[in-house]
Amino acid sequence: MARIGVFICHCGENISATVDVMKVAAEAAKIPGVAHSVEYKYMCSDPGQQLVKNAIREKGLTGVVVAACSPRMHEPTFRRACAEAGLNPFLCEMANIREHCSWVHEKGDATTDKAIDIVRTLVAKVKKNKALQPIKVPVTKVAMVIGGGIAGIQASLDIANAGHQVILVEKEPSIGGHMSQLSETFPTLDCSQCILTPRMVEVAQHLNITLFSYAELESLDGFIGNFKARIRKKARSLDEKLCTGCGLCTQKCPSRRIPSEFDAGLGLRPAIYVPFPQAVPNKPVIDREHCTYYRTGKCRLCEKVCPTQAIRFDQQDEIVEADVGAVVLATGFDIKHGDFFPEYGYGKYRDVIDGLQFERLASASGPTLGEIRRPSDGRVPETVVFVACAGSRDPAKGIEYCSKICCMYTAKHAMLYKHKVHHGKPYVFYMDIRAGGKMYEEFVRRAMEEDGVQYVRGRVSRIFERGGKLVVKGVDTLLAARPLEIEADLVVLATAGIAQPGAEELAQKLHVSYDAHKFYAEAHPKLRPVETNTAGIFLAGACQAPKDIPESVAQASGAAAKVAALFSQSELVREPLIAVVDRQAPPVYSSCVGCFLCQSACPYQAIEKEEIRGRDGQLLKTVAKVNPGLCQGCGTCVAFCRTKSIDIQGFSHEQVHAEVLALLNRGERDA
Amino acid sequence: MSALQEKARELLASAAVQVVIGYGRGSGGAARAVFIREATKAGDLVFDGTCLQNLAVYLMKPEVRKLGKAALVVRPATLRTILQLAAENQIAENSLLALVPSAEEIVLLATFAAIEAHVAALDSDLSTAEKAELQRFTALGLDERRRFWEEQFSRCLKCYACRAACPLCYCTRCTVECNQPQWIPVPAHDLGNLEWNVMRAMHLAGRCVNCGDCSRACPVGIPLYLLNQKLVSDVFTGFNSRSGISARSDNALSTFKPNDPEDFIR
Repeated sequence: MARIGVFICHCGENISATVDVMKVAAEAAKIPGVAHSVEYKYMCSDPGQQLVKNAIREKGLTGVVVAACSPRMHEPTFRRACAEAGLNPFLCEMANIREHCSWVHEKGDATTDKAIDIVRTLVAKVKKNKALQPIKVPVTKVAMVIGGGIAGIQASLDIANAGHQVILVEKEPSIGGHMSQLSETFPTLDCSQCILTPRMVEVAQHLNITLFSYAELESLDGFIGNFKARIRKKARSLDEKLCTGCGLCTQKCPSRRIPSEFDAGLGLRPAIYVPFPQAVPNKPVIDREHCTYYRTGKCRLCEKVCPTQAIRFDQQDEIVEADVGAVVLATGFDIKHGDFFPEYGYGKYRDVIDGLQFERLASASGPTLGEIRRPSDGRVPETVVFVACAGSRDPAKGIEYCSKICCMYTAKHAMLYKHKVHHGKPYVFYMDIRAGGKMYEEFVRRAMEEDGVQYVRGRVSRIFERGGKLVVKGVDTLLAARPLEIEADLVVLATAGIAQPGAEELAQKLHVSYDAHKFYAEAHPKLRPVETNTAGIFLAGACQAPKDIPESVAQASGAAAKVAALFSQSELVREPLIAVVDRQAPPVYSSCVGCFLCQSACPYQAIEKEEIRGRDGQLLKTVAKVNPGLCQGCGTCVAFCRTKSIDIQGFSHEQVHAEVLALLNRGERDA
Repeated sequence: MSALQEKARELLASAAVQVVIGYGRGSGGAARAVFIREATKAGDLVFDGTCLQNLAVYLMKPEVRKLGKAALVVRPATLRTILQLAAENQIAENSLLALVPSAEEIVLLATFAAIEAHVAALDSDLSTAEKAELQRFTALGLDERRRFWEEQFSRCLKCYACRAACPLCYCTRCTVECNQPQWIPVPAHDLGNLEWNVMRAMHLAGRCVNCGDCSRACPVGIPLYLLNQKLVSDVFTGFNSRSGISARSDNALSTFKPNDPEDFIR
C-alpha cells in the first residue's frame, strides 16, 4: 500500500496569493494513498526540508510529492532531502503549482482547483514510481577547443594551465582569428597584435596543447566525458615536419595577385602563403584553387626552391580521431559583406569599405603600412564618414539585434584616423551610442571632445558617387531634423556582426541549439551563460552573440573553469532517466520486433542492435538496446515505437497513463 | 503448363527453394494463397486478374518461415512490400526469390538490388483514379470528413482483419494489445474504434505501400485505403519520400535531414 506524503509550498506569496494552499493540503489528504499532507511557507528552506525528512522517517512514506515550483528549480533540492532521509530520490516528484498555476492565473476557486488537480496527477504518478540508481560514466580528461581566435586561445591556455590536455582545432592556416587583424584596441588603444601574438606563441609551445591548424571538425559522437571527435586536417600540400618556415617558397611563387583574406581583400598574397608574418604555426599552405600547378599542371617552383624538400603536391586530407571529454565552441563571428547594402554602394564603390577593412588600413602590418589611404587611388582621404549600425538594429534587414562592438570600434576608427590625418574631417552617423563598459564612455567622449570627431545622430539613406566624391545623404535628427549631405572621400560601414557561415552546419554536427541568427544558444541566459543545452559542450566568445575582446576572454575563462570542474572527477554521475527496451522471459525475450526505426529517430545515436542468442549460439532475435551513457531521455524513440517496447525510466507509460487517468477521473467524480 | 507453373516446378525440383507461395483456385473460383512444396503440385498455380492479395504477408509468419527458402509470386505492391520489410530489418538478403509473372517469360528477382531496379522502372505513385478520389475526398470540409469517418468507424467490429491482412502489421505485440497501461480500449465502441483505426493509420504512415489488402479484408467494407492513400500522398509531398522503393531504411518520420524544407524544426 502506497504511503505518499504531499508537501505544499506557499513560496512566500508566489503561490499562496492566488492558490488556497490550506484547501490544497486538505484535498490532497483525501486522495487514496496519501498518508501525510502539509503546507509550509518556504518548503525549500532548511526547516521546510526538515518537514519532508521527518515525515519520511516518522510516517514511513513510500513516495513524496512536493507541490511548489518547477522541477527545473528545486527537484534536485528535494530529491537530495529524500535521499538524506533514506528514501530513494527518484520516489520524489515535483507538482509545479507555481509556473503552471499561481503565476499564470488570477486568484480564485478555479486556480485552487487546478492546483489540486496538479497535485492529484503527481500523486497518481508517484505511486507508480520505481526506485532508480544513478548511472556512473567515466570522464576522458581531454578538452577540444574549436576555433583559435582570442576566445579559443584563452580557453585552451586556461584548461592547459589547469593541467589537462587540450586539442585546439582552427580552420584557418593560423590561429589568431579576427583579433590578429585589428590595428589598435579600444578603450586603451594598445596594439592588438602586440598583446595577442605572445598568447599565440604560448599556445604553440604549451606542452598540454595539441594544435590542429587548417583543420575542421568532421564529426562528434558520444556524450559528456566520452566524446569521439573526428578532425579533418586539410592538406597544406607540404610536410609540416620538414618545413622550417623560411618563407622562400612564398617569395618565389609566381601567382601573386590573389586578394588576401587577412587584409580583408585590400592586399594581395601569393598562392603559397602564410596569412601574416606572426602566424602560428609559421608554415605556409598552398591555395589549390589559385596555384598555377594545380590549375595547369606546370610550375612547381616552390618545390624547386624549398631547401628541405617539404612541398607535397599529392598530399591528401587526413582524418584524426580523438577521445575528448569536453568541447569548447569558440568559432567566433563574421561581418556582413556583399550586396547587403545596395543603398550604400558597398561592393560597387571601392571607397565604401567595412570596419575590418579599415582595421587593415590603420594597421602597421596592413597593405598601406598603417597609412590611411583609400583603396581606389591610394589618396589620403580628407573627409571620412563612418556609418554605425549598418545592418544592425534594422528589422527591415532582418537583423534586429545590436552588434554591440560597432559603437566602440567606430569611435576608435574615427580617433585613429584623426591621429594619422590631423587635418582630416571624420563624421560618425549613429542611432544611439552604446558605450557601456569600463572606460568606454570616456573613450567615446574623448573622440568627440579631444579629437573633434563630428557625431551626427541620424541614419544614412543613400551613398552615391559624384565628381570623384562619395555623397552621403543622411539626416541629423538632433538639430531640427535637417537633411544632411556630406561629400566624403572614404566611407566606413560598421556592418552587422553575424554568425560564421558554417555555424549552423557545425551546430548540427554537435547537436547544440542556436538562435534564429545562427548564434549558439546558451543553456540559460543568466545562470548558465557558458554552457550549451548539450552536456559537456561549452561556449566562448562571439559564436554566442557579438562580443568585444574583454567579454570574449572572460567567457573563455569561464568555459575553461567549467571544463576544469568537469575534469576534477574521474567519474560522472548521471540521472537514470533514460530509455530502456523491454526484456522478458523466453520464448518472447522482448516485445521489440527489431524494425530499428527508433535507431534513425534517436538524435543521440544511443540505440544499438543486440543479438539474443540461445545456449547453442543460435541467433534467436535481434532487438534494440539503449546505450545508457548516450541516452538523454528525450523520449523520441518511445513515441516512435509501435509495439510500445521502449519506456523512459521515471516517465514510463504506466506513470504517464496514471497521470492522465487521474485528471479524467476527476471529471467523473465532479459529475 | 504455363510459364509460371513450369518455373515453379523447376525451382522446387532443383531444390532452389523449398516452397513456392502463389495463387491457386479456392472455393467459388476465388483466388487464394497456395503453398506449393512439391514439384508435382506446381500445376495448382494460377495467375490472372483475380489474384490481388499481397502474398508478402506470409513471409512474416513463423510457420511459413519454417518451411525454408521461398519463391513468392509477386505483384508490384508485393515487391515494394518486400523492400519495405527489408528496410525494417524483417527479411534478410537472399532469403527469398520473387517471381514476377508475365505472359511470355517469368522474371526472377533474387536480390534486393534486383527488386529495387525492377521497382524503379514501375510507377509507384497513386494512380490517376486514386488521386482523383482522394482529391474529391479531401475537398470535403473538416466536419463532413469527421462525420464520414464516425459513420464508417461506427461499423468497425474490431475483428482486426485489416491488421491480419497487412504485411507491415508484423509486430508480435500490437499497441492495441498493450494493457499495462491500456492506451486503446478493447471494446468496439465509438472512441475505441476511432483510436484503433487512427493509431493503425499513423503506424503505417511513411511505411504503407498502398497494396489495398486492408480494405479488401474488411468484412464491413470500411474504405481504409483512403486513410492510407492520404498519408502516402502527404508523406510524399511533405518529405519527398516514398516507402518500399529501397531496401535501406529512409523512413520519413524517423529521419531528419539538415536540408529539410521546414525551418521551424532547425
